[in-house]
Amino acid sequence: MTDTTFFDFDGASYAYESGATILSTVDWRIPEGAFHCLVGRSGCGKTTLLKLAAGLMLPTQGQVRVKGEVIKRPSQKVGFVFQTPALLEWLPVIDNVLLPISLHRLVQAEDKDNALELLELVGIADLAKRYPRQLSGGQQSRAALARVLLPWPPALLMDEPFAALDAITREELQDDLLRLVSLRKTTVLFVTHDITEAVYLGDQVAVMEQGQISRIVTIDLKASRGKNFRHENSFSIYCQSIREAMGQKMPEEM
Amino acid sequence: MRQYIPSLVLLLCLLFFWEIMVRLMDVSALIVPALSAVLLVLWDGLITGFLWHHIWITSVETLLGFVLGCSIGFICGVMLGEMEKLRRLLWPYVLATQVVPKLALGPIFIIWFGFGMTSTVVITALICFFPLVENTMTGIQIVAPEKRDLFRMLGAGRWKTLVRLKIPAGLPTIMAGVRVSIVLALVGAVVGEFIGGSEGLGASIIAAQGMMDSSLMFALFILITLMGVLFYQITLLFERWLLRNWSKGKIL
Repeated sequence: MTDTTFFDFDGASYAYESGATILSTVDWRIPEGAFHCLVGRSGCGKTTLLKLAAGLMLPTQGQVRVKGEVIKRPSQKVGFVFQTPALLEWLPVIDNVLLPISLHRLVQAEDKDNALELLELVGIADLAKRYPRQLSGGQQSRAALARVLLPWPPALLMDEPFAALDAITREELQDDLLRLVSLRKTTVLFVTHDITEAVYLGDQVAVMEQGQISRIVTIDLKASRGKNFRHENSFSIYCQSIREAMGQKMPEEM
Repeated sequence: MRQYIPSLVLLLCLLFFWEIMVRLMDVSALIVPALSAVLLVLWDGLITGFLWHHIWITSVETLLGFVLGCSIGFICGVMLGEMEKLRRLLWPYVLATQVVPKLALGPIFIIWFGFGMTSTVVITALICFFPLVENTMTGIQIVAPEKRDLFRMLGAGRWKTLVRLKIPAGLPTIMAGVRVSIVLALVGAVVGEFIGGSEGLGASIIAAQGMMDSSLMFALFILITLMGVLFYQITLLFERWLLRNWSKGKIL
C-alpha cells in the first residue's frame, strides 16, 4: 500500500448469516484525489461495497482501510451521498445543509455563511429558505450535495445519486460535481448502473459482477474532457468496452 | 367549504324527517321527543347557564385525561419503539390495558380515587393511552433507512437520532394517534361520569334518565356530539399546522 491510497479493500468479503455471499474477496485500491466509478447490474453488490467503505457495514472477512486505518465505524473523513436526497422535510434547505454541524454544536453565523456559500456553489442559494417539498428533484440533489460538502470531507461515496433525475438535469449535475470535486481534489467513489455516466465522470471505471470486481478500465482522456466529450468517438469506444465487460460473465449469455 | 354542503343538506333533511315523523306518528315525548322540543330544552339550558357548568366539567375532564393519556402514551411508545427487549417484555401488558373493558374498571377506580373528577380523568387517560403508544412506537420505527444511515454517517448518537430524526419523521403517524385519542377522550369522560360523576354531561344524562326527561337526554347527546366534532376539528387544524412542511401524503 502506498501513502497515496485512500480506500483500500483488502480481501473484503461480505456474506449474510444465511450464507448468501454478496461480496467475495474484493482487492481494490483507490488513490487519493481519484474519481473512480463502479458499475454493475442491480444486485451485484455495488451498494454493499460502498457501505463497507463508509463503515456503515463491516466486512465478514478481510478489511477495508481508509487512509491506512482499518474502518470499524463511519468516519468523518468520508461523506456519503445516497440514492435519494434524504433531506429532512421538516427543515428548510439551509438547515438541512447545516445538519452536519447542528447535530454536534450550536450553529454560528460563520457556519450559515459557509452553508450559503455552498448553496451558491451548487446553484440554489435563492432556495435556502424553502422546504424540500417545494424543490424539484434536481434541486433536492443539489441540496444533498451541499450538505455533504459542508464539512468538505476528503472523500465522497456516492450511491447512484442522480439515478432518479431526467437526462438533462443529470448531465448538469455531473458537470457541477466534477467542478466541485476538482476544487479540493476530493477522492470520489461513485456507484452507478449507467455506463455513460461512469465513463463521463471517472478516471477509472471498475466493473462489478456477482460480488467481484471483474475489470478496471482507465479512462485516459480526462484532460481533453469537455462539453462534447459525450459525443466523441473515444467516449463510445469506452462505453462499448465496459458494456462488453459487464456482459462477459452473465450466466444467461454464456 | 363547498364540499361540506351535501353533508349539511343531508343533516337538515334528517332533522326535518325526525320532526315530521314524530308529529305525524304522534310518538310519545318519553320515547322520542320532537326536535323542536329538544332544541328548546338545549336553548333553555344554555341561556340559563345550567348546561355551561356541565360543559366546562366535561371539557376539563376530557382535556386533562387526553393530555395525561397522550403524554404517558407518547413516552411509553418512544421507549417501546427504541428498546426491543422492553417491547417484547411489556407489549402484552400494554395490550391488556386496552382490551380490558374500561367500564368494568370504573368501580375499582372509584374505590381508589373516589367519586368525581379524578376517576373520570384516569379512565379517560387510560382510553387515550393506547392509540399514542401504538402510533408512536410504529411512527419512530418507520424512518427511511437512508436517513438512518445519514445520521450514522454524521456521527449522531442514539438520543440525537431519536430527537432529531425518528420523532419528527414519525410525527404524521403520531398525530394520527392524537386525532383518534381526542375523540376517544370525550367518550371516556362521558362514560366515566356515568359511573362515578355527579357533575358533567355524562352525569347529567344519568340524572335526566332518572327524571324521565328524554328531551334533556337528547339535548345532551347533541351537545356531546357537537363538542366531539369541535375537539376533533381543533386537533385536525393543529395537526395541519404542525405538519405543514411534511411532504408525504396529504392529511385528510
